[in-house]
Amino acid sequence: MIALSKVDVVDSLSVWRRNSRVYLRLWKTEMIAPVIEPVFTFFAFGFGVGALVTSQIQGMSYLAFVGAGVLAFTVLMRVIFEVTYGAYFRMVYQSTYDAILATPVNAESLAFGEILWAVTKGVIDSIFILPLIVIFGAASSAFTPLAIIPLVLGCIFLAGLGLALTAHVFEIDHFNIFFAIFFSTIFLCGAWFPVELLPRWLQIIAYAIPTTSVIDLTRAFLTGNFAGRHWIEFFYVVAAALICLEWALKSVRKRMVV
Amino acid sequence: MRSDWIIEAKNLKKYYGNFCAVGGISFDIAAGETFAILGENGAGKSTTMRMIACRSPISEGNLTVNGYTVGADDRKIRSVLGVVPQENNLDPDLNVLENLIVYSRYFRIPYEAALERSRKLLDFIRLSEKAKAKVDSLSGGMKRRLVIARALIHEPSILLLDEPTTGLDPNVRQEIWEKIDDLRSERKITVVLSTHYMDEAEKLSGRLIVLANGKIAATGHPAELIRSRVGKFALEVREAKGVPLANVDHSITAVSRGSLHIYFGENTDELAKLMPQYGSRPMILRPSNLEDVFLGVIAS
Ligand SMILES: Nc1ncnc2c1ncn2[C@@H]1O[C@H](COP(=O)(O)OP(=O)(O)OP(=O)(O)O)[C@@H](O)[C@H]1O
Ligand SMILES: [Mg+2]
Repeated sequence: MIALSKVDVVDSLSVWRRNSRVYLRLWKTEMIAPVIEPVFTFFAFGFGVGALVTSQIQGMSYLAFVGAGVLAFTVLMRVIFEVTYGAYFRMVYQSTYDAILATPVNAESLAFGEILWAVTKGVIDSIFILPLIVIFGAASSAFTPLAIIPLVLGCIFLAGLGLALTAHVFEIDHFNIFFAIFFSTIFLCGAWFPVELLPRWLQIIAYAIPTTSVIDLTRAFLTGNFAGRHWIEFFYVVAAALICLEWALKSVRKRMVV
Repeated sequence: MRSDWIIEAKNLKKYYGNFCAVGGISFDIAAGETFAILGENGAGKSTTMRMIACRSPISEGNLTVNGYTVGADDRKIRSVLGVVPQENNLDPDLNVLENLIVYSRYFRIPYEAALERSRKLLDFIRLSEKAKAKVDSLSGGMKRRLVIARALIHEPSILLLDEPTTGLDPNVRQEIWEKIDDLRSERKITVVLSTHYMDEAEKLSGRLIVLANGKIAATGHPAELIRSRVGKFALEVREAKGVPLANVDHSITAVSRGSLHIYFGENTDELAKLMPQYGSRPMILRPSNLEDVFLGVIAS
């Protein structure tokens, strides 16, 4: 049976509101971080590396190219942390899941609420960072605000994937392996340089990772350069998001309901 | 089948992988009753309660709560159950009042009603002054009371208490018992509790079951069990290592446990006759209690 069909959205929203309440209490620290990080990433990659890169990339300056990378990287990182360490704390150390599951809320609605919250955090970060990107001159298209679409899909994909993995983790140190893989792949995914520069075999790996499509789509919206491949990437990310979402709901039930 | 059974368990089993934690138990609990589950560590008390709470799926057998079948109508069952788990699981990211308010949302209680109930409950457990305090700053007894209050936020008709007073000082235990008593008399709430404390079971429960290795080893009213399983009185002799048990006729039961000898009988005179042979060893002649039954059942 499809786990997604067991989700009660009102219940998920109750879980979402629990998390948002905690977030709002800490909003000062929670909201400064997403701004500081991308600013310095721009300093480093846009100006630092950008000064060395004088050639045009896909017909744009390096700064314009790297905008999507900075945006996607920051937002996706936020989501990943929320569904790994954040969720692990609630699940294992604080028994928050255990308390919620004694109420009418079922495991699927709980997991969905957690993912919904992680995605919300990603969206909040996007809203903070998008103006920065414009200020740094890394976004020129009128479609820039729509970059939120691939970012949300990317957030759902990684929130699902991350929460599913968290539900399989019994030692918090195992996250190190996960993060090692995540950071390695993010360098392949076209955030800092075009995938086309990689050897053929690495390009194939890169395009198999949905994050590559998320970043490429984000870049399309920021620069206004659309191509036919973007449709394929779009449906690829939608499929990846749905599969990981379903996997997350199933994994949380398997972990919590024994 | 009586119509007022609110919880009915038939041949209930629970496996964790291949391990059988509950091995086919049957019991019925009447509406308004206070029912206790006793047993050693690992006997299966929590597992049984978690199955009633639809928190842990049953492996075999039948379990109905409030007329609904566990495994099929879980949502309906959970909405009338108040659950106090063995381990406190208050939310450390929220303050005392928020713990109640946020929890009330899971039961779809409108905010205004939730706020009013939360204030009343904090009053009830005498934590009103701590409404804005962090959960981590509460003492063990306060935390326990808050978990109980949280379990009452949706005015459940059944309250599941898994070792409600373990690890608390005698005053706090007394206080929690009073609260449970209040609830029973005011609201006719059905209470299912597990405990290691015999005094708690004797004080609170109407009927009880003793679990041993996932099976029911004894069942009945505390007084009934004491009467049927051991005599009315007990003579307890300590430091009796190396001394043989006294020869007694069949009106007295003799038990030796390590350096402890216990004799159960119907009257004190008969038991007192045994005292001289122990000389100056510490001994006490007392009414027998549920603990005697418990230890007897577990030993056998
Ligand atoms: N999630 C689980 N996975 C595997 N085994 C479990 C699990 N939960 C409980 N058990 C085992 O099932 C048995 C019964 O456990 P349970 O927690 O029901 O005992 P209990 O009577 O509540 O004990 P205590 O008095 O220590 O709380 C124990 O042997 C325990 O190790
Ligand atoms: Mg237990």
